Amino acid sequence: MRTEGKIISFFSPLLLLVLWELLARVGVVDIRLFSCPSRIMKTFVPVLLSGELLYHSWVSVRRILLGFAAGAIPGMLLGLSMGLVPLVRAALEPMVAATFPIPKLAIMPLILLVFGLGESSKIFTIAIGVFYLVLINTMAGVLSIDPIYLDVAKNYGASRWNFYRTVALPGALPMIFAGFKLGMGTALLLIVAAELTAAWAGVGYWIWRAYDMFDIERMFTALVMMSVLGYLLSYLLDFIERQVIPWKTPPAQ
Amino acid sequence: MSEINDAIILQGISKVFPSRHGPPIVALEDINLTVKEGEFLCIVGPSGCGKSTLLRILAGLEQPTTGEAIVTIKEEGKPVNSMVFQEQSLFPWYTVRENIAYGLTMRGISPQECQRITDHYLKITGLGKFARAYPHQLSGGMKQRASVARAFANDPSILLLDEPFGSLDEQTRVLLQQELLKIWEGTQKTTMFITHSIDEALGLGDRVLVMTARPGRVKEVLDINLPRPRDLTIIRSQPSFLDLFHTIWFSLREEVLKARNEEMG
Repeated sequence: MRTEGKIISFFSPLLLLVLWELLARVGVVDIRLFSCPSRIMKTFVPVLLSGELLYHSWVSVRRILLGFAAGAIPGMLLGLSMGLVPLVRAALEPMVAATFPIPKLAIMPLILLVFGLGESSKIFTIAIGVFYLVLINTMAGVLSIDPIYLDVAKNYGASRWNFYRTVALPGALPMIFAGFKLGMGTALLLIVAAELTAAWAGVGYWIWRAYDMFDIERMFTALVMMSVLGYLLSYLLDFIERQVIPWKTPPAQ
Repeated sequence: MSEINDAIILQGISKVFPSRHGPPIVALEDINLTVKEGEFLCIVGPSGCGKSTLLRILAGLEQPTTGEAIVTIKEEGKPVNSMVFQEQSLFPWYTVRENIAYGLTMRGISPQECQRITDHYLKITGLGKFARAYPHQLSGGMKQRASVARAFANDPSILLLDEPFGSLDEQTRVLLQQELLKIWEGTQKTTMFITHSIDEALGLGDRVLVMTARPGRVKEVLDINLPRPRDLTIIRSQPSFLDLFHTIWFSLREEVLKARNEEMG
């Protein structure tokens, strides 16, 4: 069953590509809009080999990583405090609830005004998207910790700092990582939008430039790159998660 | 013979929990009790009689509504009390070794000392091979062994155990009772042990306190004059053990029936 599953998982996307190519060749799929795998590859290989696409990818990855860190770290710290201290939670929860639903793209113009046209506006856009997801998940993670562990910590004389270090943080880590993964997904969404305006490099910029020139294949090369980046970044998070949460029960087969 | 000091004095302790629907719940009412230094006191009572609440008050996890819980033995450099909890309470994110060392770490004991004490308790609880395992890899009995080791390693003035073996199967429970006796006899710590098993209370305790149905009060306190060190399999067949068993059984039965009648209206 498991090997069968693996074989199917490998061949099903391949089959879809073949189908796409065939339908494009017989004219069912309009190649002016959707191109086809062979044409995309013909464009992809040279831009990859010239390093052009890698340069733009790197610019985006750098923004994603910086923005992710700038959002995840404060989100985590604030989430821990809100989970552990009812007064902090009472004070901040209404504000979080009121500002979280505002689409991050709706405040892009404001971000551009405040942070200018440079790198910081893109990094901040990503940071704010990641921040809320990590904050909310961290808080939920702390609140879901069985109160028995707080009793143990109290009975065994844990200081305030040790409540964070030995109970709240490790207890919430699985949920924190769930927040990281959601945050990473959002970061990939936001980077393209953030690079739409006032950007001179990046995968998003690449897509919009290709659009301006109506170069569909070029657009698709960036989509392929985004998909690869998304896969690698989520793989990276999974890897870190396994290192940081060694006690996590392996999922039942 | 030298005078034995009091270790714990409970004075007029009551605990009332507010309830959202209906009148507030009186969990404990006017508990007065003195525990001597080095004494092993067992508490039995019908479920819901507030025995856990009483222990939680002593552990500093609850405040009494009235009255005072005074721990009179306070030894320099030692924590006042350590508790072994009823349910699974080992931190899932720490290894067995880290769990046992928890109290010591929190108190800032030096790593070498910590290591030495933890090694000792890993050895006498037979968990040496599992020092680096995580709790989810242990059986129920091993988890409670580690919980007991965590409390003893912390070397408190008084030891509080809240039905630590309640969820274990019979064989494992008897084994762990025997091990607990062995460790306890080596340290002679003042101990309060909650259980719903008369058998367990008689086997382990110097005295057994029977509590009434809610609101929990002290119904009676019986001395268990069985010689130590005890072998649980031997003392269970002694006539005095059986007499005491009957006395407590009838005392407790009355309370259990009372609690049941109340529940059924």
